[in-house]
Amino acid sequence: MHAVVCVKQVPEQNSVKITADKQINSDGINPIINLFDEYAIEEALQWAEKNDGQVTVISLGSDDATDSLKKALAMGANEAVLINDPALEHVDSQSAAKVVAAAIKKLDNVNIVFCGKQSTDDETGQFGPALARFLGWPQLTYVFKVHELSETSIVVDRALEDTLETVEASLPVVVTAVKDLNEPRYPSLLKIRKVSKQPIPTWSLGDLGLGGSDVAGNVQVADRVPPPARPSGEMISGNVQTQVSSLVQKLVENQIL
Amino acid sequence: MSLYFNSDHEMFRQTIRRFVEREINPFVEQWEHERCFPGHALFKKLGELGALGVSYPEAYGGAGLDYWYNVVLAEEVGRADCGGVPMAILVHTDMATPALAEFGSDELRQRFLAPAIRGELIAAVAISEPDAGSDVASIRTRAVRDGDEYVINGSKMWITNGTQADFITLLARTSDEAGFKGMSLIIVPTNTPGFHVSKKLEKLGNHSSDTALLAFDDLRVPIANRIGEEGQGFGLQMQQFQKERLIGSVSAVAGMEKIVAMTINYCRERQTFGKALIENQYIHFRLAELLSEIEALRQLNYHCTRLLIAGHDITKEVSMAKLKAGRLVREVADSCLQFHGGMGYVEEYPLARYFRDSRLLSIGGGADEIMLGIIAKYAGMIGKRR
Ligand SMILES: Cc1cc2nc3c(=O)[nH]c(=O)nc-3n(C[C@H](O)[C@H](O)[C@H](O)COP(=O)(O)OP(=O)(O)OC[C@H]3O[C@@H](n4cnc5c(N)ncnc54)[C@H](O)[C@@H]3O)c2cc1C
Ligand SMILES: Cc1cc2nc3c(=O)[nH]c(=O)nc-3n(C[C@H](O)[C@H](O)[C@H](O)COP(=O)(O)OP(=O)(O)OC[C@H]3O[C@@H](n4cnc5c(N)ncnc54)[C@H](O)[C@@H]3O)c2cc1C
Repeated sequence: MHAVVCVKQVPEQNSVKITADKQINSDGINPIINLFDEYAIEEALQWAEKNDGQVTVISLGSDDATDSLKKALAMGANEAVLINDPALEHVDSQSAAKVVAAAIKKLDNVNIVFCGKQSTDDETGQFGPALARFLGWPQLTYVFKVHELSETSIVVDRALEDTLETVEASLPVVVTAVKDLNEPRYPSLLKIRKVSKQPIPTWSLGDLGLGGSDVAGNVQVADRVPPPARPSGEMISGNVQTQVSSLVQKLVENQIL
Repeated sequence: MSLYFNSDHEMFRQTIRRFVEREINPFVEQWEHERCFPGHALFKKLGELGALGVSYPEAYGGAGLDYWYNVVLAEEVGRADCGGVPMAILVHTDMATPALAEFGSDELRQRFLAPAIRGELIAAVAISEPDAGSDVASIRTRAVRDGDEYVINGSKMWITNGTQADFITLLARTSDEAGFKGMSLIIVPTNTPGFHVSKKLEKLGNHSSDTALLAFDDLRVPIANRIGEEGQGFGLQMQQFQKERLIGSVSAVAGMEKIVAMTINYCRERQTFGKALIENQYIHFRLAELLSEIEALRQLNYHCTRLLIAGHDITKEVSMAKLKAGRLVREVADSCLQFHGGMGYVEEYPLARYFRDSRLLSIGGGADEIMLGIIAKYAGMIGKRR
């Protein structure tokens, strides 16, 4: 089994600033692996261990993203690839998926791809589905449990709004992970040291047989503004009796009870 | 990016941060209540992560890395929701084992350091006695040679990890020479006949850490358990104290930072007289002042770390850092508790525990006044000029 995990490096908090030209300024904010991708990595590692398989992590990003790839290697991934090209600087989700699909085709015998359900910075939620389309593979989105995974098939639970769905599919397939799919491991110092010097190849668009026109993209962010501040809550005063009855009344008024 | 920490340090930081969030914080209430934490279970897990020997030689299972990794460990465990567990961990890694790691024989290190790094054995360091805390030179515990063994008699007071430790780095008199001469550091396995935990001590704070009064009653250990030469113990311990003090100050900075951040949040939310507490200049000025002092101490700690790594004697600088840390945690605890009002005084909020736990730093590892004495001596005010 050869699993690929798509990893995006994102700023740790959502409290990023928006620059004059509407870009996200994450200066001074710690870069981390996208929350959902960590679950994807852990799941791939667990099944690769069971199936004697291997895991390759891919990130499309700047050179800084090697930190996230190193971390994935320290968690136990076998190989990592960075896709970096000047033409990719403001790439949209669709084009990013196209490029990563090309990278996956370039790798050998990949039979499953794990992604996070969305990234915590751009939050488009498109990447996994778009990747599946470019690969021509089925997609299993919002996966919160993987029951079985073999060389040929997979059985998962999908967490939908108000249903749990158990789905079986044949490989190859793209899986997108939700939070709490598992408990991501933290790398030991031994592993951190071991991967410290492991080279991470960088592929450019040219290496993937693509050019700038392939990633022109047709979604532009026209504006970015912070959401309106939340109105401050209402404090209920009085003694405990009045507080409780007033609270209950408000809950009833607002049809919460 | 920091001037001192590279991406590997930061990855290790994330590992320890998660470990604290998952394996320590959820259990703090229970361990504080039980007056002990499960040392063997916790240390085993830390050992598997490689956290207990970050700068120790690879030959004994350490990672052989630079001392900044110890700093990262101390900062991250220092952010735990209590003072007791971080103290227990750092006693093991930076207070009870540095002399063994640096000056112990190969055999002694294979027997005690390697399993300590793996987290299989818990270490304690026993210097203080009922009648000799600050005045280390007046300790009375004796180790008398009998053939190829030492026969040890005496008692040690306030020993952290004392009820759980598997071995103790013990400072004892090995000759009749008075004062700081004639002392040796000896590794004492606690399963040796003649070892007794006389009493588990009830304390003001650091409840999750076990502290004990220990007794040694005709206890026999091989001469080979001695670290370094006979009579060198005081000097070795004084060296070991420097790391103890540095790491104590480093973890204090991390804890203070967390408490101040928590207080800022609280004062943002809490409304009195129609506005958020934080809008009172008195409050935000005070917190800004504390942040400045914390930052200054952090930089002094980092300076000490650089000196230490470069092989310099850090006694003066680290004594200043330890003094400042002991005093600053008291100020931070007091002000932050004050700004929490009644919530600071009840156990629902972490301030009450922090107030209790932080008080130790001005006493343990050398009291403030001992630090002042060292600084005065190094500055040439008293004693021989250095
Ligand atoms: C929770 C806890 C954990 C501890 N863990 C350990 C451990 O693991 N191993 C270990 O060996 N010890 C440990 N100790 C002991 C600690 O190191 C001593 O308490 C400390 O060194 C002070 O010694 P003392 O208590 O004997 O105080 P004393 O020496 O009696 O001093 C009392 C006070 O007098 C003042 N003072 C002392 N000397 C002078 C002076 N020359 N000039 C002016 N003022 C002075 C100081 O204010 C000092 O606080 C621990 C203590 C506590 C409370
Ligand atoms: C053990 C205990 C027993 C108590 N017993 C009783 C009791 O029997 N009956 C009773 O009614 N209450 C009782 N109290 C409540 C006590 O009176 C309040 O905790 C106290 O008045 C402070 O109010 P607060 O906790 O709401 O703090 P807050 O009003 O939220 O203030 C928090 C902190 O902010 C600062 N602050 C507040 N206002 C300002 C300002 N304008 N400018 C600058 N700084 C400011 C202060 O440092 C203050 O400590 C008790 C509290 C405790 C802890």
